Amino acid sequence: MADLTTAGEAGPPRAAAADRGFATTLIRTGSVILGLVVLAVLIGPLLVRWGPEEIDAAASLAPPGGAHPLGTDVNGMDILSRVLHAGRLDLGVAVASVALAVVLGTLLGIVAGYRGGLVDDVLMRILDVFQAFPAFILALAVAALLGGGVPELILVIALVNAPAYARLVRAEVRTVRELPFVEASRTSGSSGLGTLWRHVLPNSLTPVRVIAPLNCGWAMLTLAGLSFLGLGVTVPTAEWGAMISLGSADVVAGRWWTSVPPGLLLLVSVLGFSLLGEGLQERAGVTR
Amino acid sequence: MTLLDIRDLKVAIGSVQALAGVDLTVARGEVVGLVGESGGGKSMIARSVVGLLPDGARATGQVLFEDRDVLTMDAATLAAHRGAGAAICFQNPRGALSPTRVIGRQLTDRLVTHQGMDASQARSAAVGLFESVGIRSAARRFGSYPHELSGGQAQRVMISLATGCAPGLLIADEPTTGLDVTLTREILLRFREAADEEGRGVLLISHDLASIARICDRLVVLNAGAIVEHGPTTAILTTPAAPYTRTLLAAVPTLPSPHPAESGESAGSADPARPAGAGVSAESGDPAQPAGSAVSGDEVVRVEDAHVVYGSRFGAGGHHALRGVSLTVRAGETVGVVGESGSGKSTLARLMLGMITPSRGAVTLAGREPSRLRGRALRALRRRAQLVFQDPIGSLSPRRTVADAVAEPLRAAGVKAPERARRVAAVLERMGLDGTYAERRPHELSGGQAQRVGIARALAGEPDLIVFDEPTSALDVTVQAQILKVIGEVTAERGRGSVFISHDLATVRGFCDRVVVLYLGRIVEEGPVEEVFARPRHPYTMALLAAVPSLDGEEETGRVRLTKDPEEAAAGGGCALAPRCPFAEDACRTEEQELRTLGRARVACRRAGALPDLEGPER
Amino acid sequence: MRIARFTARRLLQAVPVLLGVVVVTFVLVRVLPGDPIRTILGPNATEADAAAARARYGLDQPMWQQFVDYLGGLFTGDLGVSIQSGQSVMGEMAVRLGPTLELVVIAVTIATVLATVLGIWSARRAGRAGDHTLRVLALVGNSLPEFWLGLVLILVVYSGLGWVPAPSGRVDPDTNLSLITGADLLDAVLTGNGPAFASAAGHLVLPVATMVVVIVAPLMRSVRASALEVLGSEAYRAAAAHGLPERTLLRGYLARAALVRLPALAALVFGFAIGSTVLVEYVFSWQGFGQWALRGLLFRDYPVVQASVVVIALCYTLIFLIADVVHAVLDPRVRI
Repeated sequence: MADLTTAGEAGPPRAAAADRGFATTLIRTGSVILGLVVLAVLIGPLLVRWGPEEIDAAASLAPPGGAHPLGTDVNGMDILSRVLHAGRLDLGVAVASVALAVVLGTLLGIVAGYRGGLVDDVLMRILDVFQAFPAFILALAVAALLGGGVPELILVIALVNAPAYARLVRAEVRTVRELPFVEASRTSGSSGLGTLWRHVLPNSLTPVRVIAPLNCGWAMLTLAGLSFLGLGVTVPTAEWGAMISLGSADVVAGRWWTSVPPGLLLLVSVLGFSLLGEGLQERAGVTR
Repeated sequence: MTLLDIRDLKVAIGSVQALAGVDLTVARGEVVGLVGESGGGKSMIARSVVGLLPDGARATGQVLFEDRDVLTMDAATLAAHRGAGAAICFQNPRGALSPTRVIGRQLTDRLVTHQGMDASQARSAAVGLFESVGIRSAARRFGSYPHELSGGQAQRVMISLATGCAPGLLIADEPTTGLDVTLTREILLRFREAADEEGRGVLLISHDLASIARICDRLVVLNAGAIVEHGPTTAILTTPAAPYTRTLLAAVPTLPSPHPAESGESAGSADPARPAGAGVSAESGDPAQPAGSAVSGDEVVRVEDAHVVYGSRFGAGGHHALRGVSLTVRAGETVGVVGESGSGKSTLARLMLGMITPSRGAVTLAGREPSRLRGRALRALRRRAQLVFQDPIGSLSPRRTVADAVAEPLRAAGVKAPERARRVAAVLERMGLDGTYAERRPHELSGGQAQRVGIARALAGEPDLIVFDEPTSALDVTVQAQILKVIGEVTAERGRGSVFISHDLATVRGFCDRVVVLYLGRIVEEGPVEEVFARPRHPYTMALLAAVPSLDGEEETGRVRLTKDPEEAAAGGGCALAPRCPFAEDACRTEEQELRTLGRARVACRRAGALPDLEGPER
Repeated sequence: MRIARFTARRLLQAVPVLLGVVVVTFVLVRVLPGDPIRTILGPNATEADAAAARARYGLDQPMWQQFVDYLGGLFTGDLGVSIQSGQSVMGEMAVRLGPTLELVVIAVTIATVLATVLGIWSARRAGRAGDHTLRVLALVGNSLPEFWLGLVLILVVYSGLGWVPAPSGRVDPDTNLSLITGADLLDAVLTGNGPAFASAAGHLVLPVATMVVVIVAPLMRSVRASALEVLGSEAYRAAAAHGLPERTLLRGYLARAALVRLPALAALVFGFAIGSTVLVEYVFSWQGFGQWALRGLLFRDYPVVQASVVVIALCYTLIFLIADVVHAVLDPRVRI
């Protein structure tokens, strides 16, 4: 006689919380938006006549239309060309910095969570100090320290984010470490590293996978915010935040085209990451 | 007029038919037992009675409650029917009590809603109700939050909440799951009282036929959404008609008792897969075990006067899990370790496996002391002992395949890949799992299959000792029987020692040579299985034996009952059992008890052997 | 009483963190590239001028001596003198902290209330169109760069519609608002200055709206998720199956259980809002703490940077402490 185990008498309470259809819609919409943005910033610049830092001396603050479909800024640079080129930089920095933060944070989190004891205590107290600052404030300070080159900015955003990942992974490792299958691995006589690599790590990274896309959106906002304040990428390099900053003076006069297009593209890209992240969270049943 | 009259109830969720035409009645003052395994649709019946079917469920038929159909009630009528008409006493009371509201308020909410009391009336009525379900210092408990309660107390509160609705029909969904045997009995009696004294109808839902049988007037057996048998309790126990009922009965581990042994035999002829290792009475014995033979194999593990203290890191306080336990297991021998939760069973298991170091005393595994070894040597020694876990699915990594899990001890031992694959296949085959299982992941396995994988993993490294830590307590009864059979075969092998840990004396009896009874970290009695079962000498052992559910449906007489939940009994000096022991004298509360030899057993009770005669009826 | 002990213990735990913060800021500021003295003296100053200026600000002392002086100053409330303005840092900060806290507190409060109402509303309609719409809208809000949203609001509401005063400053100077706390709305109430109140409120509309839009989403998500968890929990189902009336269910069984996890997140969001103020103040020329700190950072004004960063960390740590205490009050399962 076969084992009599039929699924789902009274299903888990979380089943109600997961709205799979909606999650899929969110993930698809987010992916499509991001795909379109990536496509636009990769191919778009090839189709535009003007270079991103090319100055059309004849046209400063020209309104959209004619030779400049989205107009020009105060320096006579083409907004469309700049907006598209800036996308490469912003997306690239966001993804690179989050990847770096994930690697750094995961390493720290594993060491702290799996070793425990003094190592854990010391690492956590250090992270406490860094997390005693709001993230953006810390980013401002470190950006001022390191300067505004692109590699430096990637490092800044990664450093500011890493503690959160470290905590996330540490908490997960500490939970997973106590689960029966980890004990089973240890009673099998496996070495500590073997157990860590084969059992603890693969089962500890789910929240990281879910949070990372959301975090990419935040990274873009941070980069743009830093540049907006003059602590990130500076003119003439094309970057959305710096462009909005340059255009902010025109707003009171009612000139929208210098700041609205970069902001809209920034919004759309971040929204793409947000939708994707929200969908992944919904699907994973992460309730936060 | 029948209180509850369910007629041809069919419930489908999506394409799954959860209930396939169920007929069921409950009258006032009657206790009806609804029995079947998980997934059989029992809870669905309970939910349909209060009109709370899960989203997407479609129900047809009639659920008549006092002649009104619950399925067609409008919202207002349904709201009035819930609680006042029928109230469910939920499974898992800790989860079913709201965590952020004090239990007193939760009860007064019910009283105000259904009995129209004002706040102060409700408060005093609530305290009275708490007392009546056996909650001590009820007035103080009124302001407690659910997480401050023990499992037994939470169950009592749940019962008080359900009865506080003053329902015509009380539905109890697995009311005793997770409770110790001594508590189970008492909780069940509350339901009998609800029927006898308050005139309610009671529908008792359980997967465990044995535990509820004795208080039910009638039994209804449910399998895969359909009723396979119903009738008066005695009739079903003595002459079960449906093969499924016989399987259920045969799966019940019991103490010697004429009826179930017979029904077990008849089920055996009806079902070729009848478990041999379980449900076996002392008379028939287990063919795989030479009963009572003195085993003289090599010593595989020796625990000497071991103490384990789980301390806070700064020394103060700490939990004393084991207090001086000595135990030896030889090759070819199976030792049963029995005790309630919190008795130190699991700590003892991990001690023998070299997973924890004793705070005092010594452990010798396969001739070496794990506490003196480090690193590679320690890991090599750990491989000599293997553990089979209580939670079969949880003990398998969700992201690894079955083959991968079973191969782990071999990989750790440095066995080469082709050899590993061969041995994994062989050991899975032995557990009755064919090649298709090798690439499955834990979520694709049933509980029973997962436990077979767990046993396969333990066997793969060919250890000297296997410790089974309540290996069947998370499984359905019929699956339990199969797994016990497998374990019976594994423990019968001569070259290895086995330890079988259980909270349930009856399970141990089937195939253990010796039994050790633990109470709060101490051995209170040990000896050969037949001796301990036939002549229990320690009051605690007697109480455990008395609490084993029996299928004869008669109230036992003169057996020992302990007072209080273990959580409530404050441990003072002297014998740890003294606060709960019906035989305790003043001297028991001051003198530490040592194990002393009595007959073929050893007992830690100064009055052992001189206790009142328990065989005769007392009441 | 137990809450008081719990609070005291958490305060004690915050001390090492704050000490760490002080050390980190001190070191951070010293290793910042750029020389504050050069920026104030201009290009024509001689080496002797610079040395004199360094001595005036104590920058000629060895590092450890500077640290000891700084630490001593912290305890006596002397945060030094701004290199840029020559004013006392303490005095400058007192004027600037009020308006910013007012902005952040109003925004976080509105967002929390909004999130609670919308989150529970959304959870009770989980999976339906209203729930989905609200969640997507919240996500859009959360994806908006606050500095850009501020600009767009100025473009539309001020430049386009002219509904609000010009985005510079916090209150019309003609209203003669006397300074008490620095928080303009509060000062207007304290002095009974009606016109100043109206002016301050008018200036607050857009910055507060900007911040609420960007911070409401995570709060709402949290409330919704918790409420959903409670609604699906055995405990809530049991209460519903026992026929308790809707009102009792909502108040006694849903609301508190669903809000248990909100304080910690609200604290986090508060920190996010503090970060945001730097950008929002810049956009609206708010002349608050954020702008002051930013200018200190840009000009390497050591005392200003040190003081502002330490104060922010202190606020943030305190907010988390308050959140912990509120959590402990709300959730009986927290061991205190």
